This record gives sequence, C-alpha cells and structure tokens, in this order.
Amino acid sequence: MKVALVGQPNSGKSTLFNAAAGYRSLTSNFAGTTVEYTLGQARIGGEVVDLIDLPGLYSLTPTSPVEEVSRDYLLGGDWDVVINVVDASQLARSLELTLELLDLEAPLVVCLNMMDEAVRKGMTIDTPALSRALGVPVIEAIGTRGRGINETFAAARQAVERGGPGRAYVYAAEVEDIIDELSDAVEPHLPRRAVPAVASRLTSGRRAPTLAPAPVNAPACAGGGCTGCGAAPVAGTGSQAKPPAGVFPVATTAVIDDEPEVASPNGQVQITNRQSSMAIRQSAIPAFPPARFRALQWVQSDPRKLRTEEPTLAPAVERAQAAIAARTHAPADAAVSRARHAACLGLFEETARLARPRADWREQVDRLAMHPIWGYAVLALVFTGFFRLIFDVGKLGEDRILSLFDLVIAALTRHMDAHSALFAGVKGAVLGTAGAVAIVLPYLLPFLVGLAILEDIGYLSRVGYLMDALMHRLGLHGTATLPVLIGYGCSVPAVMGTRILSTRRDRFIGAFLAIMVPCSARMTVIFALVGFYLGAGWALGIYALNLLIVAVTGHILARMWPEVSPGMLMEVPAYRVPGPRVVVLKTWWRLREFVLVAFPMLVGGSVLLSLIDFYGWQHGINAALGPLMSLLGLPHTVGLTLIFGVLRKELSLLMLMQALGTTHVATVMTTAQILIFTLFVTFYVPCVATLASMKRELGWRLTLAASGALLGLAVVVSVAARGLLRVL
Amino acid sequence: MFALSHKRMREIANFGTPMNLYEADDDAELRILMITGGWEVRRSFNQMGIQPGDHVRILRRAPFGGPLMIDNQGTRVAVGKQLAEQIHVEVVA
Repeated sequence: MKVALVGQPNSGKSTLFNAAAGYRSLTSNFAGTTVEYTLGQARIGGEVVDLIDLPGLYSLTPTSPVEEVSRDYLLGGDWDVVINVVDASQLARSLELTLELLDLEAPLVVCLNMMDEAVRKGMTIDTPALSRALGVPVIEAIGTRGRGINETFAAARQAVERGGPGRAYVYAAEVEDIIDELSDAVEPHLPRRAVPAVASRLTSGRRAPTLAPAPVNAPACAGGGCTGCGAAPVAGTGSQAKPPAGVFPVATTAVIDDEPEVASPNGQVQITNRQSSMAIRQSAIPAFPPARFRALQWVQSDPRKLRTEEPTLAPAVERAQAAIAARTHAPADAAVSRARHAACLGLFEETARLARPRADWREQVDRLAMHPIWGYAVLALVFTGFFRLIFDVGKLGEDRILSLFDLVIAALTRHMDAHSALFAGVKGAVLGTAGAVAIVLPYLLPFLVGLAILEDIGYLSRVGYLMDALMHRLGLHGTATLPVLIGYGCSVPAVMGTRILSTRRDRFIGAFLAIMVPCSARMTVIFALVGFYLGAGWALGIYALNLLIVAVTGHILARMWPEVSPGMLMEVPAYRVPGPRVVVLKTWWRLREFVLVAFPMLVGGSVLLSLIDFYGWQHGINAALGPLMSLLGLPHTVGLTLIFGVLRKELSLLMLMQALGTTHVATVMTTAQILIFTLFVTFYVPCVATLASMKRELGWRLTLAASGALLGLAVVVSVAARGLLRVL
Repeated sequence: MFALSHKRMREIANFGTPMNLYEADDDAELRILMITGGWEVRRSFNQMGIQPGDHVRILRRAPFGGPLMIDNQGTRVAVGKQLAEQIHVEVVA
C-alpha cells in the first residue's frame, strides 16, 4: 500500500510523517526539480506501508513550482490512498483542499491534526458529522503527541480496500450545471491511462469502490462475478435502494448521486445519474483524474495559458467559462472558487462551533514580537543571540577537531615518504576532510538546529512580516530575509534557503545578496586581519560598507530584473512548541544535503591544491595573477592565497601567513594592503561549496554570471579603496 | 466651525466608493466586497482562503509601508501593501 500525505503548509504533515516513518526515511527530488519529497516506510498493524510526504500545497490549482510538482504527482496516480492532513484549528480554510481532493474520486482519509490547538482556540468539531458530509473517514489526531496516528492509517487501509468515495462534493447549482456539461464534453478527449495504483483499484472488481455508483455498472461488476466490492445486489423491487452500504453513511443532500436509484428487474442496481452513464460509455479503464476534476481545473485555469496548453479543448472550456461568467457576474475561476469557498464555510458551520478564543500568552508574545518598534529590538536580540551561540559552540569544537587532524597528518608523515606526490595528495585529502568536518560539525550543526527551532516555533514568518518593507527596497519580499541572514553564518545553507522563494528571479537575487554578505569564514578573515591589526572599528566599518554595497546591489538588480510577483501573502502560524523529533530530522536532512554537495568539492579541491604546492605550480599561478595584484597594490606572493580562498574563505588567511612567511602580517604588509586584501576576499568569487549549491539551485549560467559579477565588484571596490586610501 | 477630523474628511471624500483594505482602520470588522487584479492575485488570495464576502479584521500593520496582519476566521495572514490595495472592503455595521 502506498500512502500519499497531502496537506496545506503548516498542517503538521511532516510531524505525522515522522511519527509514523521516523528516521528510516529518504528525501529525494522530483525528477528535474529541486522540489523535495520524503519517502518512508511505516509498520501499520503488521503491514509495511510506503509513505510519501509531498510538499505542502494550498490547492490543486498551483501558483508556485513546488505546488505544481505536488499536484502533478497526485494526478499521476502512483498511490493507493491519500491522507489529507488538516490543521483542525484552520478547518474552514483547509477544507478547500479537501474538497478538491474529493474531486479525485479516489480513496481518501481526512486526518484532523492539531486537535489540541483547535480546542485551545475554543473550537468544537463534530467529527462524525463532518465525516458524513464529506463521505470519507475523518480521524482526529494530535501529531506532536502521536495521538490518532494508528487510527488514521487503519482508516487508510480500510479506504483502500473499500475504494474511493467515487463522488465529488457538489457546489452551487449555477456552477455545477456548466461543469457537468463541460465534463461530458471533455470526457472523450481525456487520456485513458492505466495508472498503476489508483486507477487499477478503481476498475478491478475485487477492490472496486463501494460508495461509487459508477463501477456497479462497469463491465467488471456487471458479469455478476463481483464478490468483493460490497455492492451487494439489492433484493426486492420498488423500494428506494440506498446507495451501496459503505461504512460511512452518505449525506445525500450534499452529494452528486442524490437521484433515486432504481433496482432493475434482475436485481442489479441501476443508477440513472450522469456518472453512471459516463461509466457505461467508458471502456474498462476510467479516466484518472476524473472528467469532472479536469473540467473544474480547466474552468479555473488562467485564460491566457489555456490556449497554448490545451488548444483542442480551449474553445469548449472558454464557452463554459463565458457561461459561468454570464450567470455569476464574475470571472469563471472566481465563481468556482467562491462556490467552493461557500461550500467550505457551509460545511464548517454545520460541523464546527467557534467559542470565543481564550486569550493566551501567545497573543501577548506577538504584541511584543510584531510591535512596530519592539519587534525589531526582539529581532535583533534573537539573531545576535543566535549567532553568538553558534560561534561560541563552534569555536569550542573547531580547535579540537583541527588538532585531531593535525595528529593524523603527523602520523602520516612518520609512515609515508613526505616528498612523494602520493603523500601530497593524501595530505590534501586529510586537510580537506578536516576543513569540511571543522566547519560542518562545530558551526553548521548548531546553526541548523537553531534554524529548525526558530522555524518550528513559527518565528521566521514573523521575521518575514517585520522585514518585508525593508526587503522591498532590495527588490525582495520579507520571505527572503531568512536566506540573507543565514548568509552571515554560511553561504551554502543560505543559497539552499532561497528555495522557499517563489520565482526564479527572487531566488537569484536572494542567493546573490546572500553570498555577498560576509559568512562566518570571511568574518574570521575580517577580524583576524583588520580587526586585529587595525582595530575593531575598522572591522565593523567593513561590515557597514558591505551592507551598503549589498543594499545598492539589491536595488540595481531589482531595477534590472523587475518584480513580477504581486507581494507578500503569507500565513502567520500560531506559535508552537517545537517537537524534538522534527528538529532533529530537519537538521539531519539539511546537514546531509550540505555534506553531499560540499564535501566532494572541499576534499577534491584540497587534493588539487596540495598537488599544486608539491609540483611547485604556485609560481606560475602567482605570475598569472601578477597583473591583478599590481592593480590592487598587493605583493605578488599573495596571489595563490586567493586561489585557496576559493576553496575555503578562511584558508586565504592561513595561506597568507604561509606565503608571507610570517604570522605577523603587519610587518610585511601596509595598513592599506591589509585593508584592500580583506575587502577583496570579502567580495570575490564564492567558495566551491557555495558554487556547487548555487549550481544546484540556479543552474550553471546564473552561477557563473553571479561569480563573474562578484569578481568584478571585488576589483572595483578594492581599487576604489586603494585610490581613496592613497588620497587620505 | 468646520472642525472635521482628517479621517472624517476622507470618509466624506470617499463616500460611495469602496475603500481598499490598506486604507481601512485597524480592529474594525470588514467585509470583503471585491478582489481586483488578475488571475494570479485572485488565485493567491483564494489559496489563503480569502474571498469576497469574508469578514476580516486588521490586527496590526508593519511600519514603513510594510504588510498588514489580518485575521480571517482565526487564520492570520500577512498581506503586503500592494496586495492589500487589491482588496475592496466595507465596514460591517
């Protein structure tokens, strides 16, 4: 059995997934995209079940590439049952996705998650009534406490055996008539795909849906050999035959097949509604997704895209859109979504009651954390504390780990010929690993843990809210604050973080600004050179200058590539206590991604540099970089250190000391040279690990463009600084 | 003698024309009359469960022309200025 977990963002889907599947799960990317899903296995009642955790989506009419990928997966039909995870405290809104999922007419279970949150909000939900109205099982759960999870999966198992509800939720008549006509019109054009999981269950007699009238007439059942579908022939004539007895009673008022069913003379149930006539016309394989679903999707689709994407059906769809618009005095998509919205509110009113919410501490926290003045003070405090913690923890670990690797090198020197190419290569590999481990464990780990906690608490969306106005000046939305701030820690997760932005433009500008911000490695260089030799004031001056340049660059990029997205529209979730399990898993996945992207580059690059050193190629490199060094007014021996800096930014500091032959840099370099060197290192090409992650998110073209632009910027800034310092 | 507040004058000037969400007062109960702006704008509001006919309330607004935080049936949504200006509302009496 393959279970797809589908839910809106912040519905606690992943909590549920983790509680069921735990650590034995895999993240993968959908082919050709950076959109991730998680696969896992869970043991439910002695059976091993495949679980797929799809990225959160608000509706099946997508507006972002992430949602599009999730929807396409669902429509591909490679699953047996959908568990729709719903934030019970946001029931009214969440039901919109539920109704769309019902339109798929496939096995579905609704998991009302976060029941505790709903209770706190003063909500009471009549779950049985909701289940009756929807015609699918509805299970209450509290994912964070592991409650209701087994019940949900048991219901999913039953749903698979019973088959889909086979009926969709009916909206306002004015819309529904036209949808009916359209689905009849498009039905012959739909591809008859033998979709592996869902469609085969819909047709195989053994597991045919019992609540669905359609397959009763389908050839598989008509032969009379049907045993397992539960649609036992209704005995007797004349009586109003009920829909085939499912476990979940059918609220006929709300359901499409409310026309009376007539028992035929031979005892087989004959159903006279539109669906069944469709089923008769169909061959053994019904269309999946069903015609009605397709018709609804097309009616809601962007009129401009329709003509290019569905040229054959466009005229019929446009006629339907026009008919709906004429009846409802609104654009067709608005009319359909309004009808669905009204259905949700109706369902909500029937099945839930909302008492006055208890004023709790979280409202007080928001009063402070989102205050027009104090909100920013809290923001500054949270992030200073956050970075302080990371560096304090990081410093503790880094020295110890590096000295451990020094022992390894010392041991190698004793056992190997120190003057062989092999030794140089091995030493390079050890140093590369040391560097990678010394960054990852001490700095990145606490950083990722802290990030996952801030994210889980719900603070990051508040940051987005506070910073939106400011980020707009840089051509970005508040949501992009996070990647740019992460950039102060490490550029790699910052670039990965741009994935949350919805357009390619936003992702590019976000990544570009994030890598311009001095990461912790560059901070080491800034403080060890400028801070140490020239004073902390100068070091902070570099930070201020960097901030100014970032702002100007953002402004220019925003002009060059104008914004298309209409602005911020983001849910602000209630504060939550972070679940340790979720934090650990999130950290682990991000860490693993970093390791996969960055480690090979770091180790490989380190080996290469050792070999350069061994074969004495540095003279050639220094000579090649000579003109640049002359332009910047730096000693020519410094050239190679910049190459090391591409590998790892703080290596340029260590190599600078090696190249100059002294740890007292001030004795061989002037104040101006130290300043210029530091400025250049701050801005030029990102390190290899960053380049690798940029290539993953943006592709080579934009990565190279960004690197070239940064190199140019570094030269301009450094030369300008040189000129300025000479004047002074 | 014509000691009208600025707000009152604005109300008189805008009489009969719907106001947009960004202009509305904080903490008042508002009904959404119409959402303008093309398909994408409608879709994104629809995804957040915001539709004409809904009752919303502005809880707070970020400074420097930043987003509004609104309450829509218990869901809190941050709406940027440009988007808020696409929502036309009236005060529920």
